[in-house]
Amino acid sequence: MGVISRVVTWARIKSPWVLHFNTGACNACDIEIVAALTPRYDIERFGAQLKGTPRHADVLLCSGPVTRQIEDRLVRIYRQMPEPKFVIAVGTCACSGGVFQDCYNVKSGIDAVIPVSAYVPGCPASPKALINAIVKLLKSLEESEAKKNAKAV
Amino acid sequence: MVKEENMKQEIIRQLNVPEDKIRIVRERRISLEADYAVFGKILDFAVKQLRFDYLCAITGLDDGDRLSFIYELAQGDGIMLSLKTSVPKSHPVLKTVTPYFLCADVYERELVDLFGAQVEGLPEGNRYPLTDDWPKDQFPLRKDWTPDLLK
Repeated sequence: MGVISRVVTWARIKSPWVLHFNTGACNACDIEIVAALTPRYDIERFGAQLKGTPRHADVLLCSGPVTRQIEDRLVRIYRQMPEPKFVIAVGTCACSGGVFQDCYNVKSGIDAVIPVSAYVPGCPASPKALINAIVKLLKSLEESEAKKNAKAV
Repeated sequence: MVKEENMKQEIIRQLNVPEDKIRIVRERRISLEADYAVFGKILDFAVKQLRFDYLCAITGLDDGDRLSFIYELAQGDGIMLSLKTSVPKSHPVLKTVTPYFLCADVYERELVDLFGAQVEGLPEGNRYPLTDDWPKDQFPLRKDWTPDLLK
């Protein structure tokens, strides 16, 4: 593994930039995500920063079940993100469709459309749970990175 | 309640509506049931003579072999008129109310998409609110629709 790519991976783990995308949520999870981003819970201390465009983001925070109207948009946003990319499904609806399952306008959870790295259940998911998910995600990245390096050496 | 009572009497007098079809539910709420044949006339009277110039909502109902619609009209001083009418499910044709209320266009598109009503005179436009690839013969707010039909 080259030095540059190791630096890039280190930087990525130390500052995962997130994009928040509402796929049809009732706004409760969105508010919890905002609470997690702002100083009270402050996920910026892990380097996580909210970005306005999928092209700058490493992590996609999806809240809400995937409605049929938003499905194409979600896939398009996901494709715009650079590799490697990760998706966190925030809230019960994003995990499985929740109470909206079998609704005529709802597809299902996020994982019916795009691959999901971490699930955060809860209605709404609390900021603490969200922080836990992000920390776990970063930890698993770190570990897999360490494994890769061990193999390379 | 004087205003409401006057309105009720005027509707009965002018439009020959049977007295049991119209009632004052409570203060500022009048409810009126009408056959679709006379619906146009009643709506015209309510809008032009009684000055119900707001359309708050159109509610759709699946009543077995009939589709019912409730037009919620309102006045500036807070009196609301619920105008209920119904058409047979086998031939659910309505006339548009967009000449009276331009905003009705959105509600009527919903009736078309979700209940399968056919609205005559509705301006051309995109379908709303369902997706473009939604099957043409499925209407999700009818009682006989189940999510399995989509799979």
